[in-house]
Amino acid sequence: MGDVVQIYEDYKEHADFLTVYVREAHPTDEWQMKSNVKDDVCYAQPKTLEQRVLIANDFIKRFKFPLPFGVDDMSDAANDAYAAWPERIYIIDESGRIAYRGGMGPFNYKPEEAREWLAARYGAVKHKAAGRRNYPEAVSNGEGGNGDNASKQVPTV
Amino acid sequence: MSRFWKWVAVSVAALLLAGFVFLSFMAGSPKDVYGMVRYAFPHMHRGTLKVGSDAPDARIVALDGVSRFHIRERTHERPLVLVFGSFT
Repeated sequence: MGDVVQIYEDYKEHADFLTVYVREAHPTDEWQMKSNVKDDVCYAQPKTLEQRVLIANDFIKRFKFPLPFGVDDMSDAANDAYAAWPERIYIIDESGRIAYRGGMGPFNYKPEEAREWLAARYGAVKHKAAGRRNYPEAVSNGEGGNGDNASKQVPTV
Repeated sequence: MSRFWKWVAVSVAALLLAGFVFLSFMAGSPKDVYGMVRYAFPHMHRGTLKVGSDAPDARIVALDGVSRFHIRERTHERPLVLVFGSFT
């Protein structure tokens, strides 16, 4: 999610963002991964909306996740409408049409493609590589992103 | 069993074994193959949306667990970057 947070920081002045929490991908009672145990991210698949909301709030608090956030309800309506599971990115333009359709995660989940779409429209934001955290260096052509967030820390998941 | 059918059986077995090895590599371990087939494949769908399609609406629950809003409520004045995911 670190890449998405960086994109949000770079383009939140130009685009709206919404993260939608959908059913868990690797819960303890289904296909749990070793990395989940290592990272202490161990949750059973929520059976109620309250459980989903609880996990979503845990995520927000743990990573200080800054993007606007919502939860898919137990009918999985958003997930079904967007074929979203386990992770996926779309960009919807002002006319309400799909402007970018990301690939299905995890193998085709590529936030950099969404960044490219935003960069083509609003200008690229370049970053210096600094471990897993990135810091804005300069704003190139177009309207550009906000260049005042160099001191902001970006959660990495 | 004729020689032909023996070759067919061996070929099918070899293909199944190769598929299992490939999935084990992709998933991480043989145990993960079960998880992938049992829990992931049934939920993975390419979907029918394309660039240019009308964005479907859906009702989303706010983090307070009570309030609701619609995706389309947020798609008027600026592009909306819609990120789907989970914790694990």
